[in-house]
Amino acid sequence: MSLRRTPGLVGAVALALALTGCGSSDGASDDAGKGRTRVFTADNGKITIPEKPKRVVATGYAVPALIEAEAPLVGISSWKRGEPMMSQRDLATYKKLPKVAGELATETNYEAIAEAEPDLIVIGVPAPVLGDIDVKRLESIAPVLAIGPTVPNMWRKQSHQQADAAGALTKFDAVKKAYEDKAAALTAKYKAVLPQLKAGHVGSYGEAAKGTFQREFGGSWGTNIAEDVGVSYYGQVKKKGPGSQAVSEYPSLEELPTSLRDADIITYSVKADGSVPESVKYVMDSKLWKNLPAVKAGKTFPLRYTEAATYGQAVRTLDAIDTSLAPLLNR
Amino acid sequence: MTVAGPTSDEAVGGKRVRAAPQVGLFVGGLVLLAVVAVVSVGVGARSVPPAEAVRALFDYQGTDDHVIVRDVRAPRALLAIAVGAALAVAGALIQTTVRNPLAEPGILGVTAGAGFAITLGSGLGLAAGQAGQLGWAVTGSVVAALLVAAVGRGSPLRLVLTGVALTAVLNGVGLGLRLTLPDVFDTYRFWSVGSLAAREQAPLAVPLTAIGLCLLGALLLSRSLNALALGENVARALGASVARVRGLALLLITVLSGAATAIAGPILFVGLIVPHLVRKPAAGSVPWLVLHAMVLGPILLLVADIGSRVLLPTGEVPVAVVTAFLGGPMLIWAVRRYGAESL
Repeated sequence: MSLRRTPGLVGAVALALALTGCGSSDGASDDAGKGRTRVFTADNGKITIPEKPKRVVATGYAVPALIEAEAPLVGISSWKRGEPMMSQRDLATYKKLPKVAGELATETNYEAIAEAEPDLIVIGVPAPVLGDIDVKRLESIAPVLAIGPTVPNMWRKQSHQQADAAGALTKFDAVKKAYEDKAAALTAKYKAVLPQLKAGHVGSYGEAAKGTFQREFGGSWGTNIAEDVGVSYYGQVKKKGPGSQAVSEYPSLEELPTSLRDADIITYSVKADGSVPESVKYVMDSKLWKNLPAVKAGKTFPLRYTEAATYGQAVRTLDAIDTSLAPLLNR
Repeated sequence: MTVAGPTSDEAVGGKRVRAAPQVGLFVGGLVLLAVVAVVSVGVGARSVPPAEAVRALFDYQGTDDHVIVRDVRAPRALLAIAVGAALAVAGALIQTTVRNPLAEPGILGVTAGAGFAITLGSGLGLAAGQAGQLGWAVTGSVVAALLVAAVGRGSPLRLVLTGVALTAVLNGVGLGLRLTLPDVFDTYRFWSVGSLAAREQAPLAVPLTAIGLCLLGALLLSRSLNALALGENVARALGASVARVRGLALLLITVLSGAATAIAGPILFVGLIVPHLVRKPAAGSVPWLVLHAMVLGPILLLVADIGSRVLLPTGEVPVAVVTAFLGGPMLIWAVRRYGAESL
């Protein structure tokens, strides 16, 4: 990577540009006349950003969302965990874009970001992780929006915010409509069977080494898209915590019968290639699993792409749910 | 070489060790072990009535309670007994063999070898699942111990120094690999916090059999170690083959600690503390030291394992954390109670 411009100089120029927009209200023109700005509310407060950004840097969950929305990206963080869920086109874009940060927030390359000369930086990491990033330093380069994940099913709102900030709502809305149409079609398809069934879900974030499993309730990663098809997940966590802890918990394997005894059907997360993760395999290999009524009745269903956090990825999840639940229509 | 267990009064260092009190202590220990084992299968995240727990063992019906007791808790208790006995006896053997009260099984590089092998196996993508990890850990333990034995043979000091050096090298290289490979770090971090949870599905027949045979071997070798404990010259004067006894002891230590570490991860304190706790009651007799360690090790690990399940309302604490928490004060108590003699 060329470092012809010093980061300090680039930062100073960017800071000066950003400062010219300060104090402008929604839709106002900045003093330099180079573009209109607006005030955007994000996790880090009300930030003045360009109305139509031309050079956007995205990190974390904002990466797949903004690639899919065809935002004008000039740099992204590495996002290996999302690669299996990207379309071929999005994956090609992802691989082509310069990487300005690693998988972890601590691996942010500030010089590379300055080199990309962004006019907007969208950080898509959870609020606690934001502390690992020198936001002040990034703000010296371009306006910074922190729009990170909270409760898993909030990806809908967050990906909309990210696309909106990047001025890429046209494509976003088209993909969103495709998702909603497919979800509506599947809801109609399974209308005769799903509403009468109580469902439970085993997620892939349990820790076999600790003897625990992940029980996901409504609104969690493994359940929120299936809910759009009409699957009803019963129950709730014993003690709610922040973020995903409000919709999932990690009980001991000994509590498996209590947790899932009442489920008519059980869904469980599998990897994108369909293989069963070690944490789920640990549950499924136990005699307690085999004793569950839903398991004895053969009503267990693997779900792929449960980590979808964009509408495009969620369309793939819907297809996977349809494939998995299809046997229910034959009973 | 004389190979025999403690069957009657014996002379150790000019003192006669009376068998009757030792037998009483041993039987008392066995009774306590049985009680703790029963408590262990009765305690867990799900409340199982005591009568149901007993019925699960003797009149199995396949209900959820019975499955939990028989297929989750009972194997876990058995593991605690095997791992506790293996580590405690390995500790007694290594302290006697190298005549160093601070020695513990890991000093031969066994733990570092297992940890490095898990790191390497994960990095190569070949240590997936419990069976894979078990295989890599056993291999790493044995290779490390063989390397230490080959380089450090000849004197206990050289053996210890070689073990310490190899441990430092393996830990350093392993840490470097883990820092560059986050997925490997994840795998290692679960293994590195020693635990007995969720091991019931692992293929344990081979390591448990190996532990059983080596415990028997340790008993058979213990009388010969009595002579070695008096010093090499005295041992030779008494007709013991020092090299052969030391070699056999190292073999037993390697297999015992390697198998225990492979099953449960590093649980270091048991191997260090238990020999100190039973040294005074054993009155200098290595056979009784081994026998008492064989009983107290499992008791300590079972108690720690029960504690690991009930200490926090939010979930389990790894048993290695509890053994360290219990072990530190116990070691201080032993030193204060028995003074320098215990060391």
